[in-house]
Amino acid sequence: METVLSIQGLTKHFGSLRAVNQLNLEVQAGQVFGMLGPNGSGKTTTLGMLMGVVNPTSGDFRWFGQQPTHTVRKNIGAVLEHPIFYPYMSGQMNLEVNAMIKGASKASIDKVLDVIGLTDRRNDKYRTYSLGMKQRLAIGSALLNDPKVLILDEPTNGLDPMGIAEIREIIKRIAADNKTIILASHLLDEVQRVCTHFAVLRRGTLVHSGPIGDVGNGEETVEVVAFHDDLNHILMQFQGALTVQRTNGLAGHVGPFEVKLREGFSASDLNKFLFEKGIVASHLLTQKKSLEKQFLEILAEAGPENKKPR
Amino acid sequence: MLHLLKIDLKKLTNYRTFWVVCGMYFITLAFVTASGMEVLKFAATKISDFGGELNITRVPFYHFPDVWQNLIWVSGLFKFVLGVMIIISITNEFAYRTVRQNVIDGMSRWEFLQSKILTNAVLAATSTVLLFLIALITGLIYSPELHFAEIIDDVEFFPAYFLQVFGYLSFALLLGVFINRAGLTIIVLMLARALELFVIHKVVDVDLLTPYFPLESIEGLITFPFQRYVFLEVLDHPLITTVLSAAFWTFMFNYFAYLKLKKSDI
Repeated sequence: METVLSIQGLTKHFGSLRAVNQLNLEVQAGQVFGMLGPNGSGKTTTLGMLMGVVNPTSGDFRWFGQQPTHTVRKNIGAVLEHPIFYPYMSGQMNLEVNAMIKGASKASIDKVLDVIGLTDRRNDKYRTYSLGMKQRLAIGSALLNDPKVLILDEPTNGLDPMGIAEIREIIKRIAADNKTIILASHLLDEVQRVCTHFAVLRRGTLVHSGPIGDVGNGEETVEVVAFHDDLNHILMQFQGALTVQRTNGLAGHVGPFEVKLREGFSASDLNKFLFEKGIVASHLLTQKKSLEKQFLEILAEAGPENKKPR
Repeated sequence: MLHLLKIDLKKLTNYRTFWVVCGMYFITLAFVTASGMEVLKFAATKISDFGGELNITRVPFYHFPDVWQNLIWVSGLFKFVLGVMIIISITNEFAYRTVRQNVIDGMSRWEFLQSKILTNAVLAATSTVLLFLIALITGLIYSPELHFAEIIDDVEFFPAYFLQVFGYLSFALLLGVFINRAGLTIIVLMLARALELFVIHKVVDVDLLTPYFPLESIEGLITFPFQRYVFLEVLDHPLITTVLSAAFWTFMFNYFAYLKLKKSDI
């Protein structure tokens, strides 16, 4: 597989603050690569260095195995932080300026306007656009040169649910087009839905990197509700149960039990066990381990948040 | 290079403020330089004592070759307006953060600056050509006799004028790159010359060095011509040392702007 991006020891200091610290990372062609991290963890700074607007303090990175130059950047579409355009110009004119910079053809403008669904509003001034339209125009501009790699930084930030769904659709369509996408976000749900691989940054340091597929594996947790006075005790007798925990329900109601299963056991085993005991469960729900949970675990393993690395 | 110029001109020509400010500049420039003689004549008919001692129509303001230097010096007063336009253009790029997006989209920082410098050159060249045409036409109208040698005498002021406007716009661009905010940059541009005069006369106070200060050498390219009509001697050509000094500072302005842009995180 072709390596699209390789980063070695990339570091950025802002005064005494280490925004990015000795980052090593590789992105392969065709991956949808999610960069996760809390706000201020160095995601945007990293992308800024990769796109030539932030000067690295030290370290090295290569695009397509080449030294990064502005010519290489013409083949990478990127939207960092929020859409940036000339407010006094129309969407069309803005795209024309960007097409000139990237050396893209005028025909490509019509094509991307179509992809992002802005053909009708192309001649309106950019400042009259809604946030969702601005975000779409930014993605459209990034697609102008038919880039092999697309970098999106918080593409759904501040959008309403419909806007988020639209952007997500566009991302999926682009990914289906065999492009490599690097997606920075603090919205874990978003990354889990669209990404194939992910990395977690914390305080500028890489704390995890791997495929998303890993996330769903491992032990399962099952939520159980059944009308029985001593359910807790009975669940403890189930040989597949690792731990049993009573959760707090809403507004004083009793919540479901959470049973963490040993490996090799599933919810159906638990159901069968309860049935043999003469108990019928009214609620049985398998929880796959979510990215959110794993993310929090990864951060917890990496040490307490308020400890300053020196 | 032409490509870079086209990019910047596309940004500007779609910007209404650009047309308003440049329109004001070029119209005022043309009007003031072209109408000087008629204004003086008009004043002579209305104000009884005006022009009493010497017949105003016989003062050769618009005669070749005087007309070149006279009009160029007067139009030099208006270059501040063009400087303001350049400041608006560059500080907009920082305010909208479009400089960042331009670089992300594949411009090098030097290419970005180049596109701005080229626009400066185009505006300076347009001023020069416009002024040449106005001086030529008014000179042809008002000169009593036309001699080719007199007409081409002193035209070396035009390259000097180009350098003056270009150097001044380079200075405005530099201020914009360093300060980033339109209002503050314009104020600094307004005060810069006064500040330099203060430094020249109150701090350094070495006459020998005076002509080599940045703005002083740019202004000194075109010397004040009108005292020749009260029989004082006037430098009727740009001094080569002043030209070299102005060219040096113009280069340095653009070079410093480049260094700043290269070093900063945008």
